[in-house]
Amino acid sequence: MTPVQTPTAAALPTGDAAGPGPGRGGAAEERSGPGARRRARRENLAGYLFMSPWIAGFALLTAGPMIASLYFAFTDYNLFDAPRWIGLKNFTDMFADPRWRHSVDVTLWYVVVGTPLKLAAALAVALLLNQKRRGQGFYRAAFYAPSLIGASVSIAVVWRAIFSDDAIVDRAQRSLLGMDVGGWIGDPDWIVYSLIALTMWQFGAPMVIFLAGLKQVPRELYEAAEVDGAGPWRRFWNITLPMISPVLFFNVLLETIHSFQIFGSAYILGGQAGGTCGPADATLVYTCYLYVQGFENSRMGFASAMAWMLLLAVGLVTAVLFWSQKRWVHYEEAAR
Amino acid sequence: MRTNGTGTQGSVDRRGLLKLVGGSTAALGLTAAGCGGGSGSDGGTVTIRYAWWGSDDRAKRINQTIELFEKKHPKIKVKTDFQPYLDFWKKFNTQASGGNPPDVFQNAVGFLRKYDAKNVLLDLGGQVEAGNLRMDGFRAGLDTFGEVDGRLLGVPVGSNSMALVIDEKVFGKAGITPRPGWTWEEFHAALAKIRDTQGRAGDSGMYGVMYLYDLHLRQHGKAFFTPKGLGFTEADLTDWWTKALQGVRAGTYSDPKKVSQVKPKAALSAGLSACEFTWDNFTIRYTSEGKSEYGLAPVPTTDGKRTGQYLGSLMLSASKRTKHPEEVARFIDFMVHDPEVATIMGYDRGVPATTAQYEAFKPTDPVNKKIAAYEQQLVDSGVLEQITPHPAGADIAEAAFLRIAEEMALGKSSVAEAVRQFFSESKTALGS
Repeated sequence: MTPVQTPTAAALPTGDAAGPGPGRGGAAEERSGPGARRRARRENLAGYLFMSPWIAGFALLTAGPMIASLYFAFTDYNLFDAPRWIGLKNFTDMFADPRWRHSVDVTLWYVVVGTPLKLAAALAVALLLNQKRRGQGFYRAAFYAPSLIGASVSIAVVWRAIFSDDAIVDRAQRSLLGMDVGGWIGDPDWIVYSLIALTMWQFGAPMVIFLAGLKQVPRELYEAAEVDGAGPWRRFWNITLPMISPVLFFNVLLETIHSFQIFGSAYILGGQAGGTCGPADATLVYTCYLYVQGFENSRMGFASAMAWMLLLAVGLVTAVLFWSQKRWVHYEEAAR
Repeated sequence: MRTNGTGTQGSVDRRGLLKLVGGSTAALGLTAAGCGGGSGSDGGTVTIRYAWWGSDDRAKRINQTIELFEKKHPKIKVKTDFQPYLDFWKKFNTQASGGNPPDVFQNAVGFLRKYDAKNVLLDLGGQVEAGNLRMDGFRAGLDTFGEVDGRLLGVPVGSNSMALVIDEKVFGKAGITPRPGWTWEEFHAALAKIRDTQGRAGDSGMYGVMYLYDLHLRQHGKAFFTPKGLGFTEADLTDWWTKALQGVRAGTYSDPKKVSQVKPKAALSAGLSACEFTWDNFTIRYTSEGKSEYGLAPVPTTDGKRTGQYLGSLMLSASKRTKHPEEVARFIDFMVHDPEVATIMGYDRGVPATTAQYEAFKPTDPVNKKIAAYEQQLVDSGVLEQITPHPAGADIAEAAFLRIAEEMALGKSSVAEAVRQFFSESKTALGS
């Protein structure tokens, strides 16, 4: 979220100076010389003062800790004794640690399976909600609601109950499919799907963005295609998808980054029991393991190294996505 | 904002705003300063911070004992804080590393050397000499339970012992009566009989319980921990877990998938098994959690005599950084010796550690009576031994033992892999 806030906050003083009305900004400065310049300076100062809570927060709560954690990543630090410089040992330990590799596997599986499913669900619902029908406002609100509460602790607890042995999902699966897995939560091979289902259910945010994108597609294109005899599938594939590809790109980017950072729902769904996450660590996603190492095993140096490794990985994936957009993202300006 | 043409109004407004901003920043600073002064003295009154882990029920009882303490010591105020077990230690660790641990807190043997090594615990020996804390009148050698290298780092509040908690109805229906000194062979035959006649697993799955494996090792002259590291070999553990896996496959132990789903309920109280190795005072919890009647049975033996059992205990420890060691010592003294405290606490933290408190509370309900009788029988039969000291990092090794045993039971790793993983993680945790 930070990159979005930055320009807004930085724009504050300049926006103020350029604003209309007497006694403000450049026009007044030309008119009455040094007095106005002083005032402008004061206004700049006021601007910075207004920004100061954000700047202080950024420096103290984000930038400072980040720099500190970069240093800790190269140390052995248990919170009590002074950090001891050990060079790259945390990183070599990480690659040698089977539990770390397991957490990477779990996370990648979750990202690769969960993100496309969530986006597909979001797009499908957005397409439905884009049709002219009575009560669409209500449906939009209703479909968005799960993403407001989905990330909360209580929903993860409810989810745990729904997917347990002999609970509703287990019973339905038995009677409809004749399959008895004895509850998804207890099964190391199934629990990750209940986590993915929980994520899918929170499709509201990308859905709203898709909906905004769909509204931008010119009607004439569809009308022209219909005249030429294109069916609904063809219209979706050749008009809708290319036209909303910038929005799709944005959603893919955002959801991928989010998925890499999943923590709360995996931690709670897996059940908290002394340094584990799910049966046989089945929901031990990357950040869960980071938390276990940092706060339960007091290995802050190792946990910091893990955090920076995650940042590198997410940065790399983002770079690849940006590089790939040349091939599939269609911008109107470029077409002209 | 309304502009009135002159431009002055606006700047006055802004100046006013700046003042406001400055004012609130100052106010924030003051509040922060106010929060910082957690424990301190004020006009002869001293405030100490006391933290523990446990349930709401325990919190209610403890708050009553604190009221009683404050009434008798009007110059000492007690500020409290409690969380569930795992959260407690995370919070404590963070506070202690930041140099701001509670003045006095609940502690357990697995954490004694860990926080001693980190220089967090106060040696209460000085306060004993000064007469602020009495260490006499403790039961069954508990007075030295919290000592490390001759320094008193924890004062026991109540004893408990590892035991076999059984579902009495199921055992009765299967016609099994465990007798003192029964062997592991007899125990396993009983589990098989329960599986065959009662349609449920005999045991919840004892292979991941560190304290039980400790007893098993003790029966063979070893122990789970030495003061420096692990007290057993990879071959020992391979044997233990190979037999465990056979039990899981044969259905004498509960299906680990189901056990993990009923959490936070225990497998025994959820009706997935007929017995479970755990601390004797857990019988209280299982009775409130489950539908059956629960009781205590003797721990099986290897030679027909030795169970390897010892009394464990929660403790009260003080932090080295406390500014009020004397008041903290008086507080601990009150909590472990005052008879009224015993009547409020009951057996919530085990059977009271001092004879004065033990005499003051005589349970009337069947479950507490069973616990008292069980521990009395341990004392009378002379099976009790001394606990081996737990090295720093024992808590992490214990958690790893439980987790890796579960992975093995779920079939996610072979016994050989599990053993290798446990030894590698323990080496990191114990620094050996």
